[in-house]
Amino acid sequence: MLGYHGKYLRVDLTTQQATQVALDEQTLRAFVGGSGLGVRLLLDEGTAEVDPLSPAAVIAFVFSPLVGSPLTTSAKFAVVSKSPLTNRINDSLASSRFAISGKMTGHDAILLVGRANEPSIVVIDGQDLCIQPAHELWGLTNSETQERLRKQLGEDFQIATIGPAGQRQVHYATISHDGRHAGRGGSGAVLGSKNIKAIAVRGCQRSEWAEPEALFKLAKELSNKSFGPATAKYRELGTASNLLVFNRLNVLPTRNFQQGSFAGAATIAPEQLSVNRERMRASCAACTIGCEHIYSIGEGRDGKTDKVRLEYENLFALGPLCGIDDPQTVLAASKLCDEQGLDTISAGGTIAFAMECAERRILDAPWLRFGEGAALLRGLTEIASGKGLGPQLALGSRRLALKLGQDTIHFAPQVKGLEIPGYDPRGLQTMALGFAVGLRGADHNRSGAYEVDFSDAVDRRQVEPEAAGLAVETEDKAAIMDSLILCKFLRGVFVDYYAEAAEMLRLVTGWDTTATELRATAQRIVTAKKEFNIRAGWTPAEDTLPQRMLHTTLPEDTRAQLSPERLQALIQAYNLARGWSADGYPPGLAGMGGSGS
Amino acid sequence: MRVEVEFFGIPRARAGVATTTAEGSCLGEVLSDLAARYPDLAKTCIDGQQLRPGYTANLGGQKFITDPQTPITKSTPLLLLSLDAGG
Repeated sequence: MLGYHGKYLRVDLTTQQATQVALDEQTLRAFVGGSGLGVRLLLDEGTAEVDPLSPAAVIAFVFSPLVGSPLTTSAKFAVVSKSPLTNRINDSLASSRFAISGKMTGHDAILLVGRANEPSIVVIDGQDLCIQPAHELWGLTNSETQERLRKQLGEDFQIATIGPAGQRQVHYATISHDGRHAGRGGSGAVLGSKNIKAIAVRGCQRSEWAEPEALFKLAKELSNKSFGPATAKYRELGTASNLLVFNRLNVLPTRNFQQGSFAGAATIAPEQLSVNRERMRASCAACTIGCEHIYSIGEGRDGKTDKVRLEYENLFALGPLCGIDDPQTVLAASKLCDEQGLDTISAGGTIAFAMECAERRILDAPWLRFGEGAALLRGLTEIASGKGLGPQLALGSRRLALKLGQDTIHFAPQVKGLEIPGYDPRGLQTMALGFAVGLRGADHNRSGAYEVDFSDAVDRRQVEPEAAGLAVETEDKAAIMDSLILCKFLRGVFVDYYAEAAEMLRLVTGWDTTATELRATAQRIVTAKKEFNIRAGWTPAEDTLPQRMLHTTLPEDTRAQLSPERLQALIQAYNLARGWSADGYPPGLAGMGGSGS
Repeated sequence: MRVEVEFFGIPRARAGVATTTAEGSCLGEVLSDLAARYPDLAKTCIDGQQLRPGYTANLGGQKFITDPQTPITKSTPLLLLSLDAGG
């Protein structure tokens, strides 16, 4: 089979047995790889109804047909599981050589099920599996674990790890490799629940391509385009340059979404950070864009200069959202999250929510105040260590709100339990729709609906149901990008996205894939995720936004108002545009709901 | 008519300033004036009287515009943006 190995590895951690399971061409063509193939495998495993932190839960590391090809940004893998934060489908992507080496083990995916009886690592060396005790690694940070294992196993292994947060099953713990993270939804907690500290992969099996010469030619053209104006923003400033723009448009979530602009934005913006401290640029594996901007923090424990990658999302979540305007604190907090293995958006969102609860005296934590850098760092440390307030904050904002009561759920910044990224839904209402119907919760990567808001197609502060089709379109494009897998930062270089994606797939697999077929594939993948959620207990009532977003306006922009009725109209239009029932059930899936919640 | 212009992201980096004023009564005319005065900005962000893909314009932080004929008023600043998302 071209582009694939035609099989996946299923590892039962309880019995320490591995089996190779065949993947037929029909399934691969229907779901491609990455997120799409991952959700298909999880549905086939029948794990939508299980507790995501139980031994019966499955976590899948899924590669794709383009992994290992010369196409820029294709070294990506998806981690797919049921989320402990949302109890719904979760697919997190990361870019690194783990994808290339993982696929070179001769498998299109690696599934882990069961639970090791002691802290362990999984070593997959080609077709060979070894599960080794790893008590000495338990408690180490991500970089410490990776460094230790590289020395132990050899530099040619690629090693994905969890930090202390994953071990403690913090519901938004990450899986990390070489500074990149499968960040959202708590896949690190799932791995921790299985007693697995790390997965190491090495292999030498390459998959064949249908038309290598044409593929190299296309790859060269794509790389050339990736150096052009459409990606200059990522290369030169990185995503963090969103900060001043969003601040100017009054959509920068500030102090737990109580405001849409932040007085201290200029002091933590990358434009200012670059003036005051060393900045480096880096790229993910097999990427020509080079969007990573790495800032120095100061001297670390080993005497070397500590550095941290800064993206818009960690900048907003650990800065304005918590009222922090001290650059050193924001950078240190980002580093702490990376090393301990915490999703920065959920960590920042949960702490910001707790800050508001503490200021309202609903939560007994007088030290926890907006704008207090020491409080942010203490909160993060307690989450990772399980001390103090940590066990409560580790649950995420929704569960914390449900524990605290007193209507705090109305201002918990989440959808389906996943904390909202740095786009205020009131001022970006197509994105608000994307968040509300998001299959993994409030999500800016599976829905790119903000692109509609940042265009002249809609009035972003008074979006009408006609925009629903545009939101569907961005979600479908993301479904294909996350399954091929390619980086979304490339999207600006395509003229005819589906046709160009189909051509890539054709050159790798030999299939006569068309743009029309890929559009149908996108819808199939989104519907499969919806099926997973319905089986997991989804109901239409959870497609919504926190009450704060629906009943209060931003103080800086009172026209940015989204009523419950208008959101409902948007959701209904979205569902109908998808060909689903008005309340969101795909044909044949109504009444299928499981007992999960 | 002179209008206020605010630069963000790459447009700011290319122009080398955060704000300026420019001559023009519609978006296309303002972009032409800016292109003549800021060659680096023109090279990356402006193509004739239009913005290149990946860049956008906004009136007063409120309305996104692309049509070069869109009228510009003296009282409403024009924002030139490069919008990054995700991360």
